[in-house]
Amino acid sequence: MSPTARRSGRRRPRVGVVKFASCDGCQLTLLDLEDDLLAIAERFDIVEFPEATSRRSAGPFDVLLVEGSISTEEQLEELLRLRRESTTLVTIGACATAGGIQALRNWSEHGPWAATVYPRPELIESLAMATPVADHVTVDAELRGCPIDPQQLLELLTALVVGRRPQLPDESVCAECKRRGATCVVVSQGTACLGPVTRTGCGALCPVYGRGCYGCFGPRNDANVVSLIANTAGLDDSVASTRLAGFTAWAEPFRSVIDDHGGPPGAKP
Amino acid sequence: MAQAIASTNVPRWLPADQLDRLIDVLRADGRTIIGPTVRDGAIVLAEIQGAADLPAGRGDEASPGRYRVTQREDSRRFDHAVGPMSPKRWTFPPRAPIRLGRRTSAGVRFSGVDPRPTPRPTPLAFIGVRACELAAIKIQDHVFLDGPAVDGDYRARRASAFLVAVECATPTSTCFCTSMGTGPEVTTGFDVVLTELDDGFIVRVGSPAGVTVVDALSLSPADGSAMKAAEAVVAGARDAMGSPMNMENVHEGLQASPEHPGWAAVAERCLSCTNCTLVCPTCFCTSVVERSDLDGSISTSERTWDSCFNEGFAKVAGGSFRPLVKDRYRQWLTHKFSTWWDQFGSSGCVGCGRCIAWCPAGIDVREELAVIGGVGPVPMPQLSVVAAATEAPVTISPGSVPAAFVTVHVDGSSRETADTMTLHLNTTDRRLLAGRPGQFVMATLPAFSAAPISISRFRSDGLDLTIRAAGPATRALTELERGSTLGVRGPLGRGWPVEEMTGRDVVIVAGGVGLAPLRPLIDACLAERDALGAVRIYLGARTPTDRLFVEEVGRLALRMDIEVEETVDRAGPVWLGRVGIVTQLFDHATWDGRNAVAFVCGPERMMQATSEVLFSRGIDVDRTWVTLERNMSCGVGLCGHCQLGKFFVCKDGPVFSLAELGPAFTTDGL
Amino acid sequence: MSTRSTVDNALASGWFGAGLTDAARAHLADMAHLTSYPIGEVVIREGQAIDSLAVVVEGRLALRLNVPGRGAVTVLTIEPGDVIGWSALIPPHRATSTIVVLEPTSVVELEGAALRARLDEDPILAAAVLWRLLDAVARRLSATRTQLLDLFAQPDREPW
Repeated sequence: MSPTARRSGRRRPRVGVVKFASCDGCQLTLLDLEDDLLAIAERFDIVEFPEATSRRSAGPFDVLLVEGSISTEEQLEELLRLRRESTTLVTIGACATAGGIQALRNWSEHGPWAATVYPRPELIESLAMATPVADHVTVDAELRGCPIDPQQLLELLTALVVGRRPQLPDESVCAECKRRGATCVVVSQGTACLGPVTRTGCGALCPVYGRGCYGCFGPRNDANVVSLIANTAGLDDSVASTRLAGFTAWAEPFRSVIDDHGGPPGAKP
Repeated sequence: MAQAIASTNVPRWLPADQLDRLIDVLRADGRTIIGPTVRDGAIVLAEIQGAADLPAGRGDEASPGRYRVTQREDSRRFDHAVGPMSPKRWTFPPRAPIRLGRRTSAGVRFSGVDPRPTPRPTPLAFIGVRACELAAIKIQDHVFLDGPAVDGDYRARRASAFLVAVECATPTSTCFCTSMGTGPEVTTGFDVVLTELDDGFIVRVGSPAGVTVVDALSLSPADGSAMKAAEAVVAGARDAMGSPMNMENVHEGLQASPEHPGWAAVAERCLSCTNCTLVCPTCFCTSVVERSDLDGSISTSERTWDSCFNEGFAKVAGGSFRPLVKDRYRQWLTHKFSTWWDQFGSSGCVGCGRCIAWCPAGIDVREELAVIGGVGPVPMPQLSVVAAATEAPVTISPGSVPAAFVTVHVDGSSRETADTMTLHLNTTDRRLLAGRPGQFVMATLPAFSAAPISISRFRSDGLDLTIRAAGPATRALTELERGSTLGVRGPLGRGWPVEEMTGRDVVIVAGGVGLAPLRPLIDACLAERDALGAVRIYLGARTPTDRLFVEEVGRLALRMDIEVEETVDRAGPVWLGRVGIVTQLFDHATWDGRNAVAFVCGPERMMQATSEVLFSRGIDVDRTWVTLERNMSCGVGLCGHCQLGKFFVCKDGPVFSLAELGPAFTTDGL
Repeated sequence: MSTRSTVDNALASGWFGAGLTDAARAHLADMAHLTSYPIGEVVIREGQAIDSLAVVVEGRLALRLNVPGRGAVTVLTIEPGDVIGWSALIPPHRATSTIVVLEPTSVVELEGAALRARLDEDPILAAAVLWRLLDAVARRLSATRTQLLDLFAQPDREPW
C-alpha cells in the first residue's frame, strides 16, 4: 500500500489542487482527463480545487497537487503551511518543478523592470527570485512539463491508489521520438533540438511536428548540455543561451550553462 | 523441395513499370506491405499501397550526425541505403502487450493478452530489405527463438513476414557491411531478392514461399547482359565502401580494455540519448510497463523498447551498477562487438551505420573501435559466423524455461526482520516443485512490476520465498497474507552445484539477506550429511535483529555434526555473541581448504572480501561459488537488463564460480 | 601461580603469539602472567589510563563505545588470539573504548611500563613484537573500514 493508502485506510484519499505563480494550465490537465474523471472522482475525495469546484478546504490533505513557482512572501508562507497539512505533496508542471519561465527574472534585479512595466511599482512586492517548490519544502513526487502530460498524471493517480512506484521514466525525448517513429530533426534537418538533454513524458510532441524540443520537461539525469552545444547541429555557443533560457532555464544544468554563456538574452531592461 | 527451388531459381526479369504486380500478389495473400518511402525529410519504412509510394529518384547521404535525402534525375526506386527504421519496428515493435494480469474474487490470474481481435498478427511483406537487415533479422531470430526462453510475440510476427530483399547499389559513407561480413550481396534469409537496373529488376527466389509468389507472376528469364549489369551493381557497391576494417582483434581487445582512457573520452561527447540503440536493428533490450486501470485490478504488461544507456536500466534498490555514462557506453560497444560473440556466436553489429548517422553528437563507432578495440588497418576476408566459445557449449532446448506466470497461494507468512518476510506458498506446479537450491522466481501482482525473489526452501507441497521490502513492488508482496494469491514464474536460473559437495568439506558464508538463497543448499547438505566432509557455516548480519531464520539457525548451531558461527556488525549491550565483519569468523581459522568447496552470498563487496580470505585458506576460485544480484525484468535472458560482461545473470547465473566470472566480478561499473 | 611454560603455551595457542619467533615469545612469557576475568566484569573503561597489554587466550570480550542517546554500542568482540590494550605501548596510554567480559575469559597480561622499558633496551625483541602488533592493528583497521561501509544497511527508501 502507498503511504497515502495506508494513512487514509478505507476512506477515499483527500485531494487538494493548489496554485502559486503559474498559468494554471497544469491544473486544467486534470480536467482534460475526461474519460477518467468519473473514475478519479469515485476514488479520490477532491476537497480543494478552486478551478473546478466551489468546495473549499484548508487541509489536511492525503495528496496535494501543487502548481506554480514561489514568487511572493505570502506564497512561501502558504506553501509551508500546506506542506504541514499534506501527507504526499506532488509538484506539477515546469513552474513548480523548475521555476518556470518566470524564473528568467532571477538573472536580473526586478526593481528596474517593475518600474518600466507598472505605473505604481511600489505596490509590487515580490521575492527576489521565483523559485521551484522543492527549494523550500520536501517534495514527494513531481510531474514535469509545460503543461504536464495527462497520461503521466493518470499514472501518478493510479500509483497512489495501487501502491506502486509511478512509472515516470527518466530518459531523453529521443527515446520517445524513436519509439513513435518520428524522424530526428537534428540529424535530418540540422534543426536545433534540446531533446537529448530533456526528460521525456510528453510523447515527443514537438519533434513529431518537425519542431525542435525546447526543453519544457526540464533537464534529465546525466544531461550532457555541454556536448549538445558543441557537437549537435543547430546549436553552438552563440545561440546556447537563447535556446536554454526557456521554461526550465533555472534547473541545473541548464542554469549553469546559461551562466557560462553570459546569462539569458535581455537580462537588463 | 530443395530441387524445386533450384529448378525455379533461374533469375527472372520484371520490367520497371510492373513492380506493382509483385506488390499485388503479396496483397492478395492478405499481407500489408511495408516499404521505403519519403516522409519528414528521411527515407523511412511505412505501410505502402503501391510502387508509387516508393522513393523514386531519391537517394540519401549520411555522415556522423547528419542525414539528408537527395534528389536525382532518374526514377530508380531503391538507390538509397538505410534510413532510421529497420524491419525490427514490425517484428519487434516498440510497444507490444505480452501479458494480462487480473484480480478476481478467486485470486490473481495471469494470461497471454486476450481476447485478441485476430488470433495472429497481420501478415506483412517487407519490400526493399538490405543484406545488412537480413543479417540483423537472422541475429534477432537467434536471440529470440533459439534460447531457453522463446519470445512468443516475436515468433508469431516473424513467422508471418515475407521478405523481398533488394541488392544495394549506393551505400553511404556510414555503411560498413563489408567490415562485418554481412554484405553488400544478399545471400541468404530472404524469400525474393531484386536487383534494380534502369529498366527493371532481376528477380531471384530464396524460399518455397518466394517460389510461389514469383511463379504467380509468370516472368521470363533474365538475359545475360542484365545479369552482367547486376553483378556490376553489387561490385560497385562493394568498391564504394573502400577497404573493410580488420575486426579480428575486436572481441579480445574490447574485453581486455575496461580501463582504456578512450571510454572516458567518448563519454564526454556521448549524450546518453539512446538514439544509437533505438535505431540499431539488433538491439533487443526492453522493459515492461504496466498499463492498468485506476485500482490495478486489471493490468496489461507491455514490453517496451529500452536502452542500456538509461541510468535506470542497471539500477537496483541499492543503486545503479553502471552509474556513469562511461560505464554505459562501454557496456554497449563491448556487448555489440565483443560479448555478443560469447553469448550468441556472432557479432551483434551488421555494419548498417545507422548509429553513426543518427547520433546527434556524431560519434562514429568505427573510430571508437579503432581507438579502443584494436581494429587494424589490414583488410580482412569476409568474416564467417564463428562461435567464440570458451568452454564446451551447453545443449539448450529452446523454450525449456517456464514462460508463464502461475498463480500460487499463500499458506502463511513469517516475519524475519523489520523489512523481510518469508512467504510460505502452496503449489502443485511440478516445475516449481522440481526447482534446485539457488534458483529464483519472478514474483508479481497485477499492476506491479515483477521482482526476482530467491527460493528459500523447497517443500513437497510448495516453496518459501524470502522477500525484503526494498520498494513498492516487494513491499506489496511482503504484505500478502494467508489466503492471498500471487503470480510466480520459475524456477529460473542456474542453482548451486550441489554435486560439487560430495566427498568434500563444505564452507557456507552468508551475509544479511544472502542467507535466503543458501538455505535450500543447507537443507541439501543436511539431507546428504554422510556423503560430505566437514560442514562449516558462517553468518553475518547488520545487527542481532536483522538476522534471518533465527530459531532455525539456533537449532543448527546445536548440532554436533556441523559448525555454525555468527557475527553482527554492531550490537547493544544485550548481545553476547560476536561483533565484527563476517570474514573475522574464519580468517584465523586453522582448517585447510584444499578439499573444500565454498558457497557465498551477500553484498558484492562482502563476497569479494570473503573470497580473498577463502583463497588464502586454500579454496581456489574454481571451488568458490557466489550468487549475484542484478536488475532483472524478464528473468529469462531476453530483456538485456541483467548483463554482466558476457553473462546474463538470470540465465547463465545467478550462481557462478569465481573462476568463470574472472575479472567481471571485480571490474567497476560493468 | 603461572609457570613460564604455561604462559608460553597460552601465548602460542593464539594467532598473535603463534606468529612470533620462539625467542620473542619466550621473552614476553617471562614478563607476563595469566589472568582470568568473570562474566560482566568491566576490564577497562573508555578514557581510563591503561597500564597493560593483553593477549586473549580463551573467552570473549566486547569492545564498546558509549553514544549519548543510543547507549553502549558494541562495535567489536575480541576473540582468543586477539590483542587488547595496545594503548599501553602508545601515548597517551588511555583506553579508547570500554571492554566488558561476555564469556569467562583468560588472558596473558603484560605490564605496560615494564614492556615499554624492555622493548627500549632490546631492539630485536622490539622489532619482533612491534611488527606483529602492526599486523594486528592493520587487520583491525581493514576490518573496521569494511564495517564502516555498513554493507548490510538498507538504502534510503523512496517515498513510494
